[in-house]
Amino acid sequence: MADEKNVGAAAADAANPQEAVVRVEGLQKSFGTNVVLRGINLTVMPGQVVTIIGASGSGKSTLLRCINLLETPDAGHVWFHGKDLAAEHVDINALREKIGMVFQSFNLFNNMNVLDNCTLAPVTLKKMTKEQAEKVALANLDSVGLADFAGADVNTLSGGQKQRVAIARALCMKPDLMLFDEPTSALDPEISGEVLEVMRRLASQGMTMVVVTHEMAFARSVSDEVVFMDKGVIAEKGSPEKIFTNPEKPRTREFLARYL
Amino acid sequence: MSDAPSIPVTTRRARFAAWLRRDHRYVLLGTSAVALAGMWFSSQPRPALSFLAHAFTVEVVMYYVLVAWLALSAVALVFKLMHWTTYGQVAPFVKPGTRRALRLGSYVIWALAIVLFVDRAVMGFASAWAAAAASSGMPQDDMLTQILYMFQQGYATYLQGILTTIELAVFGTAIAFVLAMLLVFVRIQRIDRPDNDFVRFWKKVGVGFAKVYSTVVRGTPMLVQGVIIYYAGFGLFSGSGMSVSEINAVWSRFIAGLVVISLNSTAYMMEVLRGGIESVDKGQMEAARSLGLSQWQAMVKVVFPQGIRYAIPGLSNELVINIKDSSVLSVIGVFDLAFAASTIAGIYYKQLNAYLVIAVFYLIMTATASWLLGKLAKRLDAKTEPVLGVSNQMKAGGEK
Repeated sequence: MADEKNVGAAAADAANPQEAVVRVEGLQKSFGTNVVLRGINLTVMPGQVVTIIGASGSGKSTLLRCINLLETPDAGHVWFHGKDLAAEHVDINALREKIGMVFQSFNLFNNMNVLDNCTLAPVTLKKMTKEQAEKVALANLDSVGLADFAGADVNTLSGGQKQRVAIARALCMKPDLMLFDEPTSALDPEISGEVLEVMRRLASQGMTMVVVTHEMAFARSVSDEVVFMDKGVIAEKGSPEKIFTNPEKPRTREFLARYL
Repeated sequence: MSDAPSIPVTTRRARFAAWLRRDHRYVLLGTSAVALAGMWFSSQPRPALSFLAHAFTVEVVMYYVLVAWLALSAVALVFKLMHWTTYGQVAPFVKPGTRRALRLGSYVIWALAIVLFVDRAVMGFASAWAAAAASSGMPQDDMLTQILYMFQQGYATYLQGILTTIELAVFGTAIAFVLAMLLVFVRIQRIDRPDNDFVRFWKKVGVGFAKVYSTVVRGTPMLVQGVIIYYAGFGLFSGSGMSVSEINAVWSRFIAGLVVISLNSTAYMMEVLRGGIESVDKGQMEAARSLGLSQWQAMVKVVFPQGIRYAIPGLSNELVINIKDSSVLSVIGVFDLAFAASTIAGIYYKQLNAYLVIAVFYLIMTATASWLLGKLAKRLDAKTEPVLGVSNQMKAGGEK
């Protein structure tokens, strides 16, 4: 944890807390008697790509879902641009507009076509007129290589196409932060590639991203920081080189050994 | 949940027909049953309007043709029993010419049986109808004539009953649908983080009200609800100083019945809608919320349009149920079909006859309603995309 970049980030944080996109402090969450998160601290700086890895049940998805409050934390804070999302009565809807999320099971709206999936939120939340929203949607669909599918029914798409539409849909809200919850876990390795390629390009364009994934090669090549979670705590975090080549904790080594 | 049943049903039927046709013995076997039925009709007494009564010889010939066919079938059967394994080679029946003759013969048998059916059953009904129409008092002969006599005499009463029942069921279901849509939105409210205390309080009150309403309405018989609502309403109006005739003008038995059936059906329809909404994948709501949509926006734009599709079969079933269940409203004197039956039964002291008539009417109404709703549901499904394959029609529609 004594990684230089991290220290620098923390220092910058202390000096100017507004600077971080997301700052998670002492986050705790349990479902009934099952304690899932036991005090998480995490800072994501603008333009940073943070990858969360770990075994199933280690709490990575719950952490991600707490960041846009799909799960309500039991204790702790989630600062997004200096506003505490976990505070009672916060206008979470307005804050979520700036946080895009991509789900493992795509969750495209089944009652709409591809274009309507993308324009629903911008038009409903009155950020754009229908025409503007369609223009933005087509541009985003084009960037994921699916402009030709704008009129298609979402149920006719392949898994990889669905996930790329889901990414385009999130981008239509012009988010400051993108959350990816195991975006390729429901896809076969061949098709994961097309989704990872889109994410890679998004990262290179400077999007701030938090990615929960089992794709170690992706985590290694794209992340600025890799977080290894184990049993509800952050067991180790650092640069991809450090985590993948020289992890400090035996548990990290044990986990990564299965992927190498 | 495969779309298999839709195609193989026709092929299975075609295969069954081909299997029947391949072997003439099944032709003989099947048509001997038809011939027996024809003979039975022939043995029945001739009704007044029988046309074969004027052609006695023709009927005798017809009868003996049927007998001959039975004899032929019996010969074939005996032949089969004697030549169990070699039948296909030795039987004279398997020759192509004989087979064709047997096929033509089977058509003749059908025709004869149908003629006999018309002469005895259809003309029998017509005769009873004519006898009932000609009778000046309750006919004493057979039950059918009595039933038809009661029907003819009480025609206007039955008709009014039918119209009232249809009005109650259709308007009641329509009103209940609107109310159920409103109530289900109250029922599915969840406390959301941006809500202030005022909103939270009213959401809790709303959910509680919807739950209690559903439990009370579904937990008590509609008959009891009818009596309570009608007399409570009557009491309220008379408490306000209105005279009985004034009350009857606003709070008529029909209006009260309509209120009862609407309020009753609302509870059931709300539960059907809630079931539909809850069977929509949770991820749909989460995805909508993650984009910044409020709970209400996500519900209206994403979840509800999908949920109502699951609810369509249950909702249409409510209409059929209301056609039947409106009959209990006759207890508060609503002039529906059941009330008509009890009125007519009271005049002639013939309960069974009067209720047999309305059984047929109820059956016709419910069957028609099911058929129409089935067509409507198919149409609604076909327009929409497959939602996890709730029905076969839906899937077939999506694949086109």
